[in-house]
Formats: sequence, structure tokens, C-alpha cells
Amino acid sequence: MKTQYGVIDAPAAKAASLLPDMPKSALMRRRMLWAYVFVSAPIIALLVFLLGPILFSGWVSLHRWDMLSPVDEMPWRGLSNYVFLLTKDRVFLKSLGNTFLFAIGGVGANTALGLGFALLLNSRIRGRTLWRVLYFMPVITAPLALAVMFSFIFDRNFGIVNNVITAFGLPRQPFLSGPSQALMTLVFIAVYQFVGYYIVIFLAGLQGIPQDYYDAAQVDGAGKFQEFRFITLPLLRPVMLFVVVTNTIGALQVFDLVFATTGGAPANSSMTVVLHMYNTAFKFSRMGRASAMAFILFAIIMLITLIQVRLLQDRTYQE
Amino acid sequence: MKDERTFLQPIGLTLKYVVLAVGAFIMVFPFIWMIIASLMTAGEIQLRPPVWLPAEPQFSNYSDLADSIPMGRLYFNSVFTSGLIVFGVLLSSSLAGFAFAKYRFPGREFLFYVILATMMIPFFVTLIPVFFIVRQLGWIDTYQGLVVPGLTSAYGIFLMRQFIITLPDELIDAARIDGASELRIFWRIVVPLVKPALATLGTFTFIGSWNAFLWPLLVINSRELMTLPLGINSMKSLYADNTNLLMAGTAVAVIPMLIVFIFLQRYFIQGIALTGLKG
Repeated sequence: MKTQYGVIDAPAAKAASLLPDMPKSALMRRRMLWAYVFVSAPIIALLVFLLGPILFSGWVSLHRWDMLSPVDEMPWRGLSNYVFLLTKDRVFLKSLGNTFLFAIGGVGANTALGLGFALLLNSRIRGRTLWRVLYFMPVITAPLALAVMFSFIFDRNFGIVNNVITAFGLPRQPFLSGPSQALMTLVFIAVYQFVGYYIVIFLAGLQGIPQDYYDAAQVDGAGKFQEFRFITLPLLRPVMLFVVVTNTIGALQVFDLVFATTGGAPANSSMTVVLHMYNTAFKFSRMGRASAMAFILFAIIMLITLIQVRLLQDRTYQE
Repeated sequence: MKDERTFLQPIGLTLKYVVLAVGAFIMVFPFIWMIIASLMTAGEIQLRPPVWLPAEPQFSNYSDLADSIPMGRLYFNSVFTSGLIVFGVLLSSSLAGFAFAKYRFPGREFLFYVILATMMIPFFVTLIPVFFIVRQLGWIDTYQGLVVPGLTSAYGIFLMRQFIITLPDELIDAARIDGASELRIFWRIVVPLVKPALATLGTFTFIGSWNAFLWPLLVINSRELMTLPLGINSMKSLYADNTNLLMAGTAVAVIPMLIVFIFLQRYFIQGIALTGLKG
């Protein structure tokens, strides 16, 4: 039996025939109505809090606006916000560079360490659950709390790291308060926070690789490195893609950690795009410029994601 | 060759444990150091050479903290708002996911593509307009300003649809024959069958809103409505010269959640591995 949507739906039709006084189409219509009821609230919420705002944000980025003057009286600025950001706003350009460095450092370290520790945990190791729990603790901890903990640990004067370093006769390091070290220290904290998450994901990926492949490789006399190079890595490709893409997207949006440790200081050496955007919008009330900033970063994120997907995609089915 | 392998194996294994232990030490040390420092006197923290343990644990730091920071209030706000957000996301995602997976209605494909597209919009792009909307609604410094924008999740709808679509249609049709209403089908058949997915989505959403900082920072001004991350942020300036109290406050904000995690770790980690592999 075919329904009006052309799909075989025998039990439903039977149900309809059990209710003789209600025509089939009326039953379908009622069901459809329920579907609209189910999706309506979420769809409206997404329109109000996501789709509408992104369009509005694009509109604002072409204007000058302080959020206090009426929306219909915003002076039109065309693309001048974008031009200003990309040619004149030194802090923005600096923050873009910093954000890239932060993402490259963080993604590189998270991927290497995540895979490395996952390989360790995937071998015959006792207490795998305990190790996983220990490595996972920072993942569920608020970035704000980690920022406070590490500001203390890396403090120039009485931080424990400096106390240990100087005990070995080495010079005191500024870490978060040094222009050349602040960003790298932030990378360290970010890797500390998320590496456990990537270990768990890589470990799940490794456990999904059938043992048969390794057995076959051993029969063929493959060494450990060859197994890794020709079995593990190719089969981990989808997991690798997930890790690299999600980590990059997240790292390019870093805010909490920087806000609560350096605030972008010293001399903007650790300023990131979202923090600069936050300052531009909510400290200096330049909504147009801040929105333009958001769109530039959004475009960059989409571009990078696209490139990563192209490079890392599983091509076995296309070749 | 064979002999060499068996000879090297224990060394390799020991090395593995050493590497894991060093890594784990780095992971745990900041938490332990936070607790130790929270029990020191303000003077002990600044001693050079450093002391590794307080001469006498200063439990009074915690009662001093309780005198100036309404920790209970912070906890209530965090639990209350995160709870509402988790509830809203689970309900809206599973209802919409159910409709997208099991109903046929005009516009279904289009609306689903809209949801897929919104999944890719990062938070910072909509931050300014959403703040503006919330301010126009008069919701600044209210719970609803904190909660309402987070009640739906495009990702959640997508995730639930992917799970619900795998349920056999026969189950739903059989319930219809028995005269069950659509809502009853949802509540009695769909929800129990997708509990693992709901648990995963709930865990993610909870961690996200529990730790959220930027949005609460913008919306909440008064102390009575602050969540835990906002509380930590205000303690940072309040205790700029009392690191021991700052550490005590941070420990109170962080440790209970860690204990919950340790008890539920299997579900946390399974869920995260699950979605990681789906993505």
C-alpha cells in the first residue's frame, strides 16, 4: 500500500482502516501537524538566536554602531570596517598571527601527544581506566579555574616552576608575563587541558582497527614501525581528521584562557582575535568593527576547515 | 634477534610506565598544588626557597573564604542554569530529532539543511546580536538571559535525528495501532530507546554550560546570579594578594565536579569516544 508520499507504510494504513470514521488523509495531516509542533520551538529558537543574528551581524559589520543608537539609524560604512581591520588595525593583525600560532602549536602538540599516549595506552598496560581518568581531569575543568591555577604555577616571582628552575641555578623565566613566552605558555596550558580528550578519541579509534590486520602484517614479517606506518596511520585517517578539524576550530576561537591569564598582555603579544573582538565590542562599543572581525575569523575558519578536510579525507573510495 | 627482543621487552614496558607516570604527574600536579597552596598561609606561599607543604594546614582559609564568597549561591546558580539548559537541549533536540527522523512533512529536507548549516556557525559570530536581543528583551542580569539562548542546539537535533532514524518504524507503527498518541509514542518508545544518546548529549551540554564563561560574563552583573566561573573571575581580583584564598576558592569550585566525574567516568568517556567516531 502506498501513502501519499509514495512510501510503503502498511501498518499505518492498517491503523487508518481501523478508524473508519477518520479518512486516511486526515490522519496523515494530524500526524504532520504534530511534526510541525515538535520542530517549531527549536526552529524558532534557532532563527532568533542563530540565523537571524548571523544575518544581523553581517549587516552591522557594514555600519558604524555603538549598540545604543537605534538600529535603523546606523551610519553606513560599506566595507571600510574590513579595510580598516586588514590594513590599519595593528592589534587585529597581531592577534590574527597570535591566534594562528596558538592554533598551530596547540593542534600539533595535541595530535602528536594524543596519538602517542593513545598508542601507549592501547598496548598491554595495566590500569588503563585509571590513566584515562587522570589524563581526562583537566578536560572537564573550567578554563577559568585552569587559568587561575597556572597563573600561580607560572608566576614570575613565587610560581613553583620558577622556584624549581632557580633551584637548579637557571635564570628566572617570565612565562605569562614575558612578551616572547606568554603565547607559548598559553599553548602549553591549552594542550594540558585538551590532550586527555584527544587521547580518548585516538584510543577509541585504535581499538576500532581489527587485530587481523596486525596479525597478517606480522606473518609478512612487518616491524613495529611498518605496522604503524602502513596500518595504524591510514586507518586512523578519519579520526585524525576529526581531531585536527575540531581542535583547529576550537583553538582559533580561544577566549576564556587568554582573558583570565594575560588579557592579551604584554604588549598584545598574547592577544587573540576573539579577545580583541570582545574588547572592541564591549569595551569600546565599536560593534561594526567587531562584527567585521567576527566575519573575517569565520571565513578563515571555514577556509582552513575546507583545506583540512580536502587534505585529510579518506580517499580510498575515490582512487 | 629473538633473544634481544625478550631481553628488551621488560625495559620497553618499564619505559612505557615511566612515560605514562610522568604525563599523569603533570596532569594531576596543578590540582594537588592548588589544594596544598590553599592550606598555606599568605606568607608561606611567597617564601623563597619555597616550602612544599604548609607547616600547619590552614583550614581556616576555607572558612575565611565562606565569609566573603557566597559559594552556596554560586553552586546553586551553576546547577540551576546548567540543569535548565541540559533539560531544554535534551527535550528540544529529541523532539525535533524525532520529527526529522520519523515524520514526513513538507519542508522537512529544507529545514534539516537549515539546521545542518547553523551547526557550523561559531558562537562568537552571533555574540553581539544575541547580546543585543537579550538586552532589548530586558533580560540582562537575569536567569532567562543566561539560559534561554542556550536551550536549543543544532548539533543536538542532528545527533538525536541520527540516533532516532536507526529505530525500526515497526515499533512506532505498532504503538499507533494500539492507539498511542504521538506524544505518548515519543515518551514511551523513542525516549527509552535513545537513552545512551541522550546521556551523551546531556553530558556534553552540561560540561559546556557548567564551564561557560564568555556569555555569563556579558549577561550577569550582580553577585546573586553569578555562576562558578564568574565567581572564580571575581575572586581573581578580590584575592589578588591572597593566593592561598584564591586557591581555596578555586578548589571549592572545581573539586566536587571532579569527584562526580570520577564516579561517572565510564559514561563520560564512552560518550565522548562515541561522538568522536561519529563525527
